[in-house]
Amino acid sequence: MNRNRKIDFMINDKDKTEEYDVLVVGGGIAGEEAALNLANQGYKIIMVEKDLSIGGKMIHLSKVFPTLDCAACITTPKVSETARHSNITIYTYSEVKGINKLNGSGFMARVERKPRYVNEETCTGCQICEEKCPVFVQDQFQYDLVGRKAVYVPFSIANPRIATIDMDNCILCGACEKACPADAIDFTQEKEEIPIHIKSVILATGYKLFDPVVIERYGYGRFKNVVTAMQMERQLVPTRPYNNVLRPGDGKMPDNIAYVLCTGSRDATVGNPICSQVCCMYSTKQAQLLMGALPMADITIYFLHVRAFGKGFEEFYQQGRSMGVEFIKGKIGKITEKENGDLLVRYEDIREGVVKEAEHDMVVLSVGILPDIIPEDMFLKERPELDPFHYVMQVDELSNPAKTSMKGVFVAGAASGPMDIPDSILSAGAASSETATYLRRLS
Amino acid sequence: MARVNPDFRNTLLNYGTEDFSACYNCGNCTAVCSLSDENNSFPRKVIRSSVLGLEDELITTVDPWLCYYCGDCSETCPREANPGELMMSVRRYLTSRYDWTGLSQLFYTSKIWEIAAIVFLALVVLLLFVFFHGPMTTELTAEGGVKLNTFAPWKTIELGDWIMAGILSFFLLSNIFNMYLKMVVKNKMKIPFRFYFTELWALIFNFFSQWRFKKCEPREITFWSNLKSGKYNYWIVHFLLMSGYVILFTMIVGFLGWFQTETIHRWYHPQRLLGYYATFGLIVGVIYFSVLRIKKQNEKSKHSHFTDWTFLILLFITAITGILVHIFRINGLPNLTYYLYVIHLMVLFPMLMIEVPFSKWSHLAYRPFAIYFNNLITRARNREKN
Repeated sequence: MNRNRKIDFMINDKDKTEEYDVLVVGGGIAGEEAALNLANQGYKIIMVEKDLSIGGKMIHLSKVFPTLDCAACITTPKVSETARHSNITIYTYSEVKGINKLNGSGFMARVERKPRYVNEETCTGCQICEEKCPVFVQDQFQYDLVGRKAVYVPFSIANPRIATIDMDNCILCGACEKACPADAIDFTQEKEEIPIHIKSVILATGYKLFDPVVIERYGYGRFKNVVTAMQMERQLVPTRPYNNVLRPGDGKMPDNIAYVLCTGSRDATVGNPICSQVCCMYSTKQAQLLMGALPMADITIYFLHVRAFGKGFEEFYQQGRSMGVEFIKGKIGKITEKENGDLLVRYEDIREGVVKEAEHDMVVLSVGILPDIIPEDMFLKERPELDPFHYVMQVDELSNPAKTSMKGVFVAGAASGPMDIPDSILSAGAASSETATYLRRLS
Repeated sequence: MARVNPDFRNTLLNYGTEDFSACYNCGNCTAVCSLSDENNSFPRKVIRSSVLGLEDELITTVDPWLCYYCGDCSETCPREANPGELMMSVRRYLTSRYDWTGLSQLFYTSKIWEIAAIVFLALVVLLLFVFFHGPMTTELTAEGGVKLNTFAPWKTIELGDWIMAGILSFFLLSNIFNMYLKMVVKNKMKIPFRFYFTELWALIFNFFSQWRFKKCEPREITFWSNLKSGKYNYWIVHFLLMSGYVILFTMIVGFLGWFQTETIHRWYHPQRLLGYYATFGLIVGVIYFSVLRIKKQNEKSKHSHFTDWTFLILLFITAITGILVHIFRINGLPNLTYYLYVIHLMVLFPMLMIEVPFSKWSHLAYRPFAIYFNNLITRARNREKN
């Protein structure tokens, strides 16, 4: 749909400014849900996603807790519906700049489109360029478990499923240009700015994962068999890189895996004193999935407190326990690596009050979530206030949960605080209905 | 059944700790601690006892004395509850609990009482000198030194030293016995009599070496590279200070006739060499620890209780006046020598009387004894298990 719009806009050169009802910043599950709800009511939506594909974090997950439904099976229909909706225009690989409130008539902003160096209209996503490209770099969509090329389709279920050249790593050899059957490679592309006028904004900027390199004593980045939970998640999805669960250090099939809960959550020393709300459950979920993938493996979860607070969570936790997942109360203090790549974790067994050391083949850090802080230049003058933890502040959390300190700007999903997928969808529902009400009152 | 006493927190706050009630009991402190092991897992349990106000648990535990305040626990505590400083404060609290006279508690919790006691003891020394000093002769010895033994005959001073040492030992030993009752007897362990002798090495070895300081540093790194990178500086300076103190104390109490002479020995005479080494140790130690406490960069020097500063200041004045007495004496300045000698004793006496049995300096006994008692308990427990 966005192609047609773009063509329209190029023909009607009179007024370059594009008009929409709602700007949705972020194309994850919350942004999609909010955009679809509003688009189905007839509002015109512009969705801006900074990444190469919409779908957010959820599209990379294996299963969702506590139902163990396939994550991609839930999210891809939503992604497709969003992408094909006649009332939704999507700009991926783009950023919103300079949102400026006008007196009485909505907001002005700019959408900055980064060059893909691939013609979006003609690229068919055939991936022949990928075969010819000689440059290997780490694949950020497989969370660095495997490599990709400098020209690449982000991942198999990406939307839009088109290639992009990663200019930071491209050596400009031109192999892709020669190989492309659609002549889509275009090294002359430049950054493009589109002025837009909107009536309201929904911030669905989501979260980012905590980077455990900060906690030196866990050795992430130094010890190859210490991975993040997202790296483990990628090993459990149908599009997994190794087609099996293997430890990255030597490709051995692990049979003794430890989970370290509260890595980067509830930890004032890393500046994040709050609970991330998802780690207990995703770790329990992964433990259950691992029992299927590696039937002989022992899984141990080191926890502080298991927070199984949501619908069906306690049952899910009990299910994990009864499947044989071992839960040990005690925070991991430090991890040391043995010569063969195995890991020693040191902790105090709180039930016994004794400090212990245990050996594991692989350690998974259940990393917490942090706000994906809204860039300085997204707003020109007035900007929505943030809460003490740098999430977008909900000024009226109980009666208008999507309301921010700026009139006409709403918040959806994890941009307002740590939350799981069902809560994000609920939050997006609230944001869309509050936005609709706001728009009705305007007219 | 233990009774929970949340007000106990306020008691401990008097001993210098910050609020530790943020602790959520994760055990990170114990897990990062290089000094805790399966037999003695701390500091979490000490924090737990402090939060709940389980005084009986606290009084019988050895753990606070096995902690050398490396600071890893405070640096990594996810709740910033500062376990290291709590352990320090519990040590102060325990010192006051081992002391049956109640003076320790008074000095730890009240600046006024501590200063008043120092001033009082200083005045006692002053009055003794006013009434009983020898002739303040300005006549010099043949070598040109001051006749200090005429003003303050070493035999009289030594008698005073012995009385002081007697009082000190009485209080300190009775406090240690009290510690023994609480730590070992209350634990109801059956300890074979021979263990008291076989474990004696731990007491002596740890008194002289403070070996546990070494354990603060990572074990994977070798002794020499830790030494080169300055990781052991704290330990070395502490050793200098402690050995200086032990040498001076021994010379003053045991061999005053040999130490306080009118003859001016050559610089390489053991009397002078030992004296120089000891004062060097004291001065370097005091300056090093004061600078750390002012800079507040490493974890163990970030928080200073007023008793920490009293101790450093008294030690500094003692060392400086001691050096001056020596300089004035060998250079033949009689009056200055006499006055400084009196000031020297006016600081030295209260420092020893207050700091050794009742305050910070008591750790010289409690630390090695705690290791000794702990070895007894651990060995007896292991024997019972097998």
